[in-house]
Amino acid sequence: MLLRIVTLFAVLLPAAAFSEPGAVKGVDFRRDVLPVISSKCFHCHGPDEKARKAKMRLDVREDALTDRDGVRAIVPGDPAKSEMILRIMSKDEEEVMPPPKEDKLLTAAEVEILRKWIVQGADYSQHWAFVKPQAVAVPASPAGTVARNSMDNFVAVKLAAQGMAQSPEAEKLTLLRRASFDLTGLPPSTEEMSAFTNDKTPDAYEQAVDRLLTSSAYGEKWARMWLDLARYADSTGYGSDKFRMNVWPWRDWLIDALNRNVAYDQFSTEMLAGDLLSGATPEQITATGFHRNTMTNVEGGTDDEEYRVAAVKDRVATTMQVWMGLTAGCAQCHSHKFDPISQKEYYQLFAVFNQTEDADREDESPRMSVKTKGEEEQRAKLNAEIAEIEARGGVASAAFEAELHQWEAKIAPLADVLPPTKDRDLPANIAATLALEPSERSQQQRTELNEFFRLKSKIFAAAAKEIEGKRAQMAKIKSVELPIMRERTADKRRKSFLLNKGNFLAPGDEVAAAMPVAFAPPPKLVQGEEMNRLALARWIFSADNPLTARVAVNRFWAQIFGTGIVETEEDFGTQGQFPSHPELLDWLAVKFQTPKADGGLGWDVKALLRLIVTSQTYRQSSKVSAVAAQKDVRNRWLSHYPRRRLEAEALRDQALALSGLLSRKIGGPSVYPPQPDGLWSVAFNGGQNGYPTSKGEDRFRRGLYTFWRRTAPNPTMFTFDAPSRESCTIRRMPTNTPLQALVTLNDPVFVECAQSLARHIMSDAKGDAASRIRWALELCLCRSATDAQVAALRELYDAELANYKGNTVAATQLATNAALPLPQGADAAELAAWTVVANTLLSLDGVLMKN
Amino acid sequence: MNLHQLHSQTRRQFLNTTGQFSLGAIALQSLIGHASAASSGNPLAMKAPPLPSKAKAVIYLSMSGAPPSLDMFDWKPELKAKDRMDCPENFLKGEKFAFIKGKPKLLGSPYKFAQYGQSGTWVSEKLPFMAKMADDLCVIRSMNTDQFNHAPAELMIYTGNMRNGSASMGSWVTYGLGTENQDLPGFVVLLSGGSDPTGGKACWANGFLPGAYQGVQCRAVGDPVLYVSDPAGMSRETRRRSLDALKKINQGEAELFGDPETITRIEQYELAYRMQASVPDAFNIAKETPETLAMYGAKPGEGSFANNCLLARRLIEKGVRFVQLFDWGWDIHGTGAHDDLMSAFPKKCIETDRACYALVQDLKQRGLLDSTLVVWGGEFGRTPMNEARGGSKALGRDHHPHCFTMWMTGGGIKRGINYGATDELGYHIAENKVGVRDLQATILHQLGFDPYQMNYRYQGLNNRLIGPTNEGKIVKGILA
Repeated sequence: MLLRIVTLFAVLLPAAAFSEPGAVKGVDFRRDVLPVISSKCFHCHGPDEKARKAKMRLDVREDALTDRDGVRAIVPGDPAKSEMILRIMSKDEEEVMPPPKEDKLLTAAEVEILRKWIVQGADYSQHWAFVKPQAVAVPASPAGTVARNSMDNFVAVKLAAQGMAQSPEAEKLTLLRRASFDLTGLPPSTEEMSAFTNDKTPDAYEQAVDRLLTSSAYGEKWARMWLDLARYADSTGYGSDKFRMNVWPWRDWLIDALNRNVAYDQFSTEMLAGDLLSGATPEQITATGFHRNTMTNVEGGTDDEEYRVAAVKDRVATTMQVWMGLTAGCAQCHSHKFDPISQKEYYQLFAVFNQTEDADREDESPRMSVKTKGEEEQRAKLNAEIAEIEARGGVASAAFEAELHQWEAKIAPLADVLPPTKDRDLPANIAATLALEPSERSQQQRTELNEFFRLKSKIFAAAAKEIEGKRAQMAKIKSVELPIMRERTADKRRKSFLLNKGNFLAPGDEVAAAMPVAFAPPPKLVQGEEMNRLALARWIFSADNPLTARVAVNRFWAQIFGTGIVETEEDFGTQGQFPSHPELLDWLAVKFQTPKADGGLGWDVKALLRLIVTSQTYRQSSKVSAVAAQKDVRNRWLSHYPRRRLEAEALRDQALALSGLLSRKIGGPSVYPPQPDGLWSVAFNGGQNGYPTSKGEDRFRRGLYTFWRRTAPNPTMFTFDAPSRESCTIRRMPTNTPLQALVTLNDPVFVECAQSLARHIMSDAKGDAASRIRWALELCLCRSATDAQVAALRELYDAELANYKGNTVAATQLATNAALPLPQGADAAELAAWTVVANTLLSLDGVLMKN
Repeated sequence: MNLHQLHSQTRRQFLNTTGQFSLGAIALQSLIGHASAASSGNPLAMKAPPLPSKAKAVIYLSMSGAPPSLDMFDWKPELKAKDRMDCPENFLKGEKFAFIKGKPKLLGSPYKFAQYGQSGTWVSEKLPFMAKMADDLCVIRSMNTDQFNHAPAELMIYTGNMRNGSASMGSWVTYGLGTENQDLPGFVVLLSGGSDPTGGKACWANGFLPGAYQGVQCRAVGDPVLYVSDPAGMSRETRRRSLDALKKINQGEAELFGDPETITRIEQYELAYRMQASVPDAFNIAKETPETLAMYGAKPGEGSFANNCLLARRLIEKGVRFVQLFDWGWDIHGTGAHDDLMSAFPKKCIETDRACYALVQDLKQRGLLDSTLVVWGGEFGRTPMNEARGGSKALGRDHHPHCFTMWMTGGGIKRGINYGATDELGYHIAENKVGVRDLQATILHQLGFDPYQMNYRYQGLNNRLIGPTNEGKIVKGILA
């Protein structure tokens, strides 16, 4: 019974919540009916022909209306004659639908929806997301609301309909911190804070947004999302989880492409099929590393074909999830129960990805040599060193010249008077040269003399040895061999089959590459084109595809506001949630995909993000009003800015940035910031169990550069909900746990940040303890501090100062480490007390959250 | 909004509001099925099971690498009689082995077996302690899996999916029941044998469930739980004062913004503070009497299986929901003395036999066995043939998915029975096959779940521990 009530809540409330006051009190197929019959009936009467019972389907109107021996499942206008309703209402255990063992009995409210719908004529319209979005007229903004762009009108209209109102604008600095995290993943610096506070121009905020969008940190921040989508990791996964040291150039390509703001369609096409573009550049081929982030299994005794097939399936599932918001993976064992993807269509997509050369090999072939920035830098450095050695010991150097003169001075007088001996056996031409005054020697004679003396010169010998060493170092610099996608040659194409129950050992009928028909017309191929990954990319981005732009704008929206307009970002199918703002979603989708020439954004991601973050909706305060707390605790109507915890990477980056430790080095091999010993002990991996903790600057790099081992991801990131990256992750589910508290309080990385921040409080802040505390609070929270906040920390500071005054040993332990010794003249107790304050600051709710 | 209002909102929102839109929350609600269950934002808050339960906690002793049942519990005189004879042709037809090549010889157990207890359970001479408790055990000799490589087989048995990415059994259980003692993790993982299991941390991963349900790997060296110790130089008093200041400022934050999440965060930091005291205490086995330490063969300071068994009892006693031990080193291939039947295997027996016995007896003496389900076993079986990889002279057995032995006790399981049997050479199951899915269904059932109903919707699928099909059946024959 209780279970039933909960189900009723779950199904009814959204429907009720989304109906608009004033609209016809009717039932809408897509909004109200489809969710019910999809979850309660389609399992046996839906698209999956194998699971279909009584050869009757309810997902196709003609079929549901068909007369079967005088019985019709649905008789439009007449629920009393509709077998569907009769069976649902039946008290007979044998008759009632769904069968009791399925435990899917309909609630009274659900039955009412179906009854009304049949009364209305049982009109089927297609699932909303499978119909192309149309241009939507922007509604007028209700009186008294601020609308900075059209987006705000859509939000304000919905709010007004709920009897709610927009919140006032957030504090200026809060807004800066919010936008800084959303666009660059970093907190604003003190300079940026004061410049922004002092900038009184009306578009100061827009200018700040433009500055953030052009910052190189933008690409790093947004790469994080793509790394989750691409299931990027620095190891191969599965049991032995060996290191994959050669994929980071793909990550660097990603950062760079995002910073260059490559249009979303082009950027995506390059990742899916860059190698198939005509005249593909090395960068475009690098982009295909996206789909080489699938796992490989190198454990002894495993079947390479089994795991190759698993990787191909992963590519199908990931592609459909990322670009079309569909859960295609369901169709690998049976036709999709809820969405129009048959098992055959699934394997037709499989066939598209089934032609690449990779085959679960340990060497990850095929690969491409990538000349990396680091490598070029190393070469240039060695060349400069060689030039320097030549300058001090080569034939043209002053030292060599001097040594030659010395030797001449010793040899020349003797050459005149004594007959040549074995020791002083000089070739005739050299002897002749030596006989001349240096100024009388020709260029050729000088060269000959140098060549001859080289072999006798100690200076030259030393220089030559040094140079030889440098050349050997140069030879050791290897380009990184990045795994890439490459199509097998025409004579080596694989055949693709429908795999029964997804089993690679149970092939059924042969299938040819094709796209599922329900979403968009098949790509038109011209002479010489194949139904390959490039054709798939073009189909995904064809103007007829109803999902691509919606899924994209929804994802960017969710990254900014925490929740998508469609909350189930990963599922736009019939089992997904109905959008909270369907018109807004379509307006954004149409705007995003319409070419710039026609007034759209032309897939320009930065322009889309700018539109969102400069809206009034985004600029609202995050204070929850009493009305919102009553009516809309989850803030689906956006009556205020949704507070949300920073993501794992941003938490690390923020702690490092606030304490002045953050390295701003971009790209390069992944790094190993400190983590507790003994976390890497994996069986059968050839002894790759040592964690080579980075030294120097690399200890303090941004979180996205941390070496990502799938079976043992960085524990701090994992605790803050980072995924393992074994498969594509569309959204991270934020949790709030005591283990997270232990991280910000005690993780040595956070403690070191506190130690460093304490030093800044002592050196950068001015005045008495209270003003220093205010300075630190404002730095960390990025807003003006209240007296109560200052007083709480002042009390703590005083208590700890007194506590540590009598205990220098403990004070030194807490306040210093090997890299951060006690500064000259500093008082250990004072520094320890500030360290406690800083440790507390870095755990504040207002610091962990985006306000 | 004042703090009191916010507190009550934190409790209310989970059911009344979150559930409307969040699929995860809906799944949780329908799974738990009553309103009081999710009374706070704390994901590990205690929840009653939806159905009557026999067990409220689990200790799972995972023998990583797959122990050779034929040398432990599954006595095969016929195999002994045909020792080193050619193996029957039909063993090889259509079979795939991890390492065996060509025509292997049968390998009878080199160890003596005898029957013990009222149940007459056959136990090998290498397990004298387990033999003593034959009448406490339900020995299932007819386990079966379809995976014959370590990692996929471990993932299959512990997460219900041969590939990485699914939720582990312990995650499912803490997701469904929360945990009794909020000052300790709800799902604890303890390792011994010198390596992670081959399936790696995915064996205790939360998969698609929220991160709060992942197994917490507790360590023998360093902090038992990561970062549970305050930084060097910081006293408990200082930590308390710092948390007081933190709480004051966070309360101001809650009042200013009215976000229930802030209240939850305040609670989590307080919980962490209590954990800092209770974790080191729970993990300090030196607090046990010398008699108890001796009974287990435990020595404080080691990362041994014996210590972990004693820890498991301490944790269960303190209200931890699910404790899983992984003991590595059972991969008895016989490529040399380090992994053979004559040297490596007896060593593993000595490391574990006494401790398993002590654990069961200790739980029984303390009245904990009835409510604690104890499970012992590996991820697959081992061949009745000698592997002889590369002509190795050392004796050993290859991977074998068709049959293997596990035992269970406590938590509403019949004691002193043998369930199922293999054929006379121990190659196939002869009666009462228990598949991995059956085992999972049975464990969930004992904890008060309907294994078919317990699901979590993720990426379009209603994911279940027992997998997408209903092939898994509760093994009624072993229920008390």
